Amino acid sequence: MTTIALTTAPARAGWFTQAGQVLRRWLISTLRQVWGPVMSLIQPVIWIGLFGAVFSALGDLPPFGGAGYIDYLVPGILMMTVLYSGAWAGTGYIDDIDSGVMDQYLTSPVSRSAIITGQLTQQLIINLAQSFVVLGIGWLAGARYPGGFGGMLVALGVATLLATIFCCASTAVALTARSQIALISLSQLIVLPATFLSTTMMPADLMPQWVQDVARWNPMTWAVELGRGGLDGAYPAHGWWQAGGLTVLAALAFLWAVRSIRAYQRSV
Amino acid sequence: MPENHSPDDRAIIARDLVKVYPGRGRKPGVRALDGLGFSVPAGRVFGLLGPNGAGKSTATKILTTLSRPTSGSAVVAGHDVVTDPAAVRAAIGYVSQGASTDPLLTARENLEIAARLRGVAPGESRARAARLLDEFGLAEASRRPVGTFSGGMRRRLDVAAALVHRPRVLFLDEPTTGLDPEARATMWAEIRRLSGEEALSVVLTTHYMEEADRLADELLLVNRGRAVVQGTPDELKAALHGDSLRVSLVEPDPAAVRAAIARVPGLRDVVVEASGVDGILAARTDDASAAVGAVIGALDAAGIRFGQVAASHPTLDDVYLHFVGHTFGPSTDSATGATAAPTTGVAA
Repeated sequence: MTTIALTTAPARAGWFTQAGQVLRRWLISTLRQVWGPVMSLIQPVIWIGLFGAVFSALGDLPPFGGAGYIDYLVPGILMMTVLYSGAWAGTGYIDDIDSGVMDQYLTSPVSRSAIITGQLTQQLIINLAQSFVVLGIGWLAGARYPGGFGGMLVALGVATLLATIFCCASTAVALTARSQIALISLSQLIVLPATFLSTTMMPADLMPQWVQDVARWNPMTWAVELGRGGLDGAYPAHGWWQAGGLTVLAALAFLWAVRSIRAYQRSV
Repeated sequence: MPENHSPDDRAIIARDLVKVYPGRGRKPGVRALDGLGFSVPAGRVFGLLGPNGAGKSTATKILTTLSRPTSGSAVVAGHDVVTDPAAVRAAIGYVSQGASTDPLLTARENLEIAARLRGVAPGESRARAARLLDEFGLAEASRRPVGTFSGGMRRRLDVAAALVHRPRVLFLDEPTTGLDPEARATMWAEIRRLSGEEALSVVLTTHYMEEADRLADELLLVNRGRAVVQGTPDELKAALHGDSLRVSLVEPDPAAVRAAIARVPGLRDVVVEASGVDGILAARTDDASAAVGAVIGALDAAGIRFGQVAASHPTLDDVYLHFVGHTFGPSTDSATGATAAPTTGVAA
């Protein structure tokens, strides 16, 4: 009786197959519910239109070097979109915990890091699509990207690093708090100060000293300045440090997310 | 420890399982399992029967590696759940009380992904998904998003998804809870069909007596995190000699009822329960025809109002009452709490 079962005992799927199948699941559900990512694009349209108009006079000030505010603003909006979108990444896990799908993952021979990686890849793909659209909207609003194609790739790469940090952090918080309301409240609490205590909309020279001090160590500033450098072709002085900092944070956030899924299982 | 091809033909061996959920804030901790031990023969349907909160689901969670025991050990399909969870996971299928499929994906997509995740090759995954959809009567709906399915269809798909990798042990945690009678009957037929498959052991938790009676080859009665009694349904019923007698009571005073029938000879295992305005008097006897008249006479004489009086061969309900009712004393409160839920699950 048992010998029959033995001959059909399945091999374990490879890590990439596992992550690929998790990605497949999330991509199909994204395509069936595409209004989510599309809606999140309305925000950058409003920001570019609104901030672009309200702050347009800023473009005449010396710190902008006469380039106009819209060129300054678009990389900031690019990273803001990443931030707002990434902060929601954990909601999928809470749905899975509530419905019971998470229990299926945890009782099947699937690597925990493959679960995280599969969903993260879906988030990064959505993110990349959104970033392209933001650059397009910026172009239509009058921004130009003298950094060229290579510079755009740098900006998109940095946006992906920032997305990794925030998606993984959102995932970790989701798996720890297990409540949509807690996750969303916490995201709101972090996202807005992270944006305004950085050079997303305003050059450091125009901000009070204490804000400048905070902004210097804010990863959002690093991402925005690197993205801005890529798009206009003039990279910031500490660019390598900033890129390194973002990479380290992305790796730490990923490990945090994987640890959280294990901690979740221990608490069941 | 037994190897894969264990000569000891046991699908599961659980020893002294204890699970304590720590308290949060002022809430005290919960001891969900309190030294549960049992073993499950391979290739059969094994029922874990008990009231809500008895520890059935907790036991299932530990055996499926979802949860870790506070102490104790368990071997599933030859692998230890604590030291080698990956091997256990490869050998089991688990249908939890929740859903196991994504509502936005079609039935076919869900099954194919479930199979690929568990190491089934791409071509074989498609074939296996198609065959399972066919077997579970879902072929026509296979291209619809699962979110549009009825409760019964979704439950059948959950079971199909747990079988994509040909597991050796299938866990079904209350598979018919929340289903309408027709969907429940369909699910029972599916489980019976699965139990005919060689090399598949099914562990079924339920608080429905009828379900346990119809599906389980062997049963374990669980209460308060402990094993109460194990055996085939027939063995358990046979352990209760004679017939069972049931009287439905109207606005009963349990003490008065007990006093009234204390004078009736030949009654054993007397349990009196009150819940709201209704109550029940249950007892066992070797001579039902004599006892019915005597009980009616005694109740009448004491002025106790009652409705239907019935005598029958023992059912699992009686088995339950016998073991659980006795274990926790004849106090009305505990007996009511323990038996109220299963009683409602029993149809005629």
